[in-house]
Amino acid sequence: MPPPSVGRPVLRNEDARLLTGRALFVDDVQLPGMLHVAFVRSIVAHGHLKGVDVTAACARPGVVAVYTADDLGAYATPGPVLVNPPPVPGHVFNARTQLPLARDKVRYVGEAVAMVVAESRYVAEDAVADVVVDIDPIDAVVDLEAALRPDAPLVHPDLASNVAAHVVQRKGHYAQARERADVVIKRRFHYDRGVAAAIENRAVVVEWDARAEELTIWDTTQAPIPIRNGLASMLGLLESQVRVVAPFVGGGFGPKIMMFYPEERLLPWAAMRLHRPLKWTEDRQENFYATTQERGQVHDAEMALSKDGRILGVHDVFLCDTGAYDPYGLTIPINSQCTLLGPYDIPNYESEFTSVFTNKPIVTPVRGAGRQHGVFVSERLLDIAAKQLGIDRVEIRKRNLLGPDQFPHNHEIMFQDSAPLVYDSGNYLPTLEQAADLIGYDAFRRDEQPRLRKQGRHVGLGIVCYVEGTGIGPYEGARVTVEPSGSVRVATGVGTQGQGHFTVLAQIVADALGVEVEDVRVVTGDTREFNWGTGTFASRGAVVAGSACHAAAMSVRAKALALASRALGVPADRLQLSGGRVTVPGSNNSGVTLGELAGKANPLRGAVTPGTEPGLESTAYFGPDRGSTASGVHAMIVEVDPETAAVEIKRYLVVHDCGAIINPLLVEGQIHGGVAHGIGNAFYESLVYDDQAQLLNASFMDYLLPTATDVPPIETAHRETPSPFNVLGLKGVGEAGCIPTGAVFAQAVEDALADVGLEIREIPLSPNRLWELIEERRRS
Amino acid sequence: MTLTGTFVFAGPPTTVWTLLQDPAVLAKALPGTKTLTKTADDRFEGVMTVSIGPVTAAEFSVSVTLKDQAPPTYLAMLIDGKGGVGFVRGSASVDLSVAAGGGTKMAYSSDVQVGGRIAAVGQRLIESVAKMMMRQALDALNVELQARVKAGA
Repeated sequence: MPPPSVGRPVLRNEDARLLTGRALFVDDVQLPGMLHVAFVRSIVAHGHLKGVDVTAACARPGVVAVYTADDLGAYATPGPVLVNPPPVPGHVFNARTQLPLARDKVRYVGEAVAMVVAESRYVAEDAVADVVVDIDPIDAVVDLEAALRPDAPLVHPDLASNVAAHVVQRKGHYAQARERADVVIKRRFHYDRGVAAAIENRAVVVEWDARAEELTIWDTTQAPIPIRNGLASMLGLLESQVRVVAPFVGGGFGPKIMMFYPEERLLPWAAMRLHRPLKWTEDRQENFYATTQERGQVHDAEMALSKDGRILGVHDVFLCDTGAYDPYGLTIPINSQCTLLGPYDIPNYESEFTSVFTNKPIVTPVRGAGRQHGVFVSERLLDIAAKQLGIDRVEIRKRNLLGPDQFPHNHEIMFQDSAPLVYDSGNYLPTLEQAADLIGYDAFRRDEQPRLRKQGRHVGLGIVCYVEGTGIGPYEGARVTVEPSGSVRVATGVGTQGQGHFTVLAQIVADALGVEVEDVRVVTGDTREFNWGTGTFASRGAVVAGSACHAAAMSVRAKALALASRALGVPADRLQLSGGRVTVPGSNNSGVTLGELAGKANPLRGAVTPGTEPGLESTAYFGPDRGSTASGVHAMIVEVDPETAAVEIKRYLVVHDCGAIINPLLVEGQIHGGVAHGIGNAFYESLVYDDQAQLLNASFMDYLLPTATDVPPIETAHRETPSPFNVLGLKGVGEAGCIPTGAVFAQAVEDALADVGLEIREIPLSPNRLWELIEERRRS
Repeated sequence: MTLTGTFVFAGPPTTVWTLLQDPAVLAKALPGTKTLTKTADDRFEGVMTVSIGPVTAAEFSVSVTLKDQAPPTYLAMLIDGKGGVGFVRGSASVDLSVAAGGGTKMAYSSDVQVGGRIAAVGQRLIESVAKMMMRQALDALNVELQARVKAGA
């Protein structure tokens, strides 16, 4: 029997299509008679919308229609809340979601005010400039603390304050733990995030077939099925009349799960009125405003420890910027709150957050989704505590890690998926030991660093731990079909944005059915192919859709063996399925191919018995009670130039544990991409708003992404502690690369600049910010 | 964005004051001015085109309202510019005094808010473009001033 493909570095099924330009992206869709859409967006962050004059725009040759909020009638309803708050007692959540086009008030620069439809995008863009928008400005809400002062302008004047949400979660008794503590470390931390900067911006193409009464939407969404269901409901159509296709998508990273973007709602609505196909492709500058992003949190945190470095408790109060609206509920701050606990045994925890409305674009998860904020706080507190207590950084972590016998571990607080935060499994100590060993922690500290310091070189090492809650519910499904040709087809509802679903899902099915991986054709993200599901988010595709694929494939396998048993006259348990054929081991019977069995499964007249279901096909669903928790350790060595504050990353190492590995090649790819994201977050990317919430760096000229030369080769090591929550033992890995990067970067840079005595309490840094911190420290 | 500076004109404050009130002169002096009209005693309105980095030939309708005028020594103004690529809004003030070596010393300061695309993609360049435009305008005014002084002399 050939070895299983799961666990092997199988090359990607989809790459031939991607690399030869045959993969369909939304902007590739060209339809006869298609019109083009551009949006008029507010250039003021906060103001009363007095009027929108579209006269000149309508008069421009080539313009077909211009719509404002007044034209939308009953369609101008606020969007849905995507994620209801977890049932934390006493929580406050003020849901405010946006209209498809602003009415009466604008709340951020980039908010859509009018929609122009024209014969070409050129004409549409020119007509956008013809529209006169009259806005009476109000002072913008920018700073999180200022936003909560009693005299702050209100983003949503129907609320008494700019508080979007307030949540307190407790475990044990922090105050008592603090009294017993030998040392209490208290600091303020700032952690800011940025845009997702997917290589493909958002795009929507819509065709309304009035004869068939069917609406087809090509959309870069990460959640095609919920988009289909929601749009059908909003447009008064049956779900079966709407088909949403999320073809190949050039990167999701979170913002493409947002539902519903105004453009997603408006194009279908207008296409049904104009009886013409419509296309809108976001440009890069729009992406900085109109696509959601993730932003700042300010933590006032303290950690109480015994003198031997044991964490007795953590107390954290933080503010979280949610932007002008909060359609994604509490996901980000809850993730920060939960992930702060990390891999550590923290018996007493009190965490309180206030989510704050500001006049900035909407905040929804971006890869990591608040987890990096929490990791930064706990890892920094541990670093500072280690210094104060004179304990080695790795040692203090070892003393606090959860032991292998402490799983499942209930943290007694609520996670983003509305289930208690329970870690399924983990083996943290060997992961940390392996990372320290591979980065050469002891030798670096003992020999290398002193030797280089003598030469005047500022080299430093960082090593931090993290966990990543992954693979949450509610559910995904898959249908596996063996065709008469013997090829296998898999359809699932999740969309794909480059992760490698066409390979990992194929591997799972191929192993169950004894076929080659390349003979399994996977279809994702087309609601006509699969009717049920939620989407691609929270590092859950492989875990949840993968488990569904496995269940469906195992069911098809049972059907195939049952059919073969009848055909060959041999009991099913004596049959073997491999190489696309069912055989009888130990006999000279040549058996029967899967293709032949698929033919038999479509019975002819006279071959049908009562209860027969045609097709060598099965559909299955998987819905975990709760997510599975992956973990890992990042370590890096940097050299810092103390004069210019330039940082060179000498080595970057990730030892991670995402449970059973389907394909180590793709796991490494996820980690490499994540680390690049994390390095950008730590040292390059920053959204700069002025005091009136104008974004001052809305282009790649000024918003720095790390380039290939800024991202070092990334060393990886895999550990596999299977999750007990699914048959294959899977955990997700999509965000692992970027979660602890800020924390490890800060520790490494601090270590390199030990002679300066820097304490880094903020991310992102940049060469100039780091230079300022060095100068401040030198002056003080 | 704040912009402050001084400039010395080769002519007396009263003539400088007159020039600053003359839309025809200002239109010629201010780079990119397409039209400029005095619509009231204390109000100018016009259209300007400005290029800032990747934002080229952006058209703005501009209105300037004068206030607290104390001829020929002090003048404040409210500036309001709007265009397809953004807005400029704020205030400015001008102090005129007799310069040490003759002529007129102008001290100017402005504080404007910039928004929209010119802020988003032109941020790095706005200040230098504004300084350059200011310099060009003042130089042009000075040339005109010298012509008038000569003609009057």
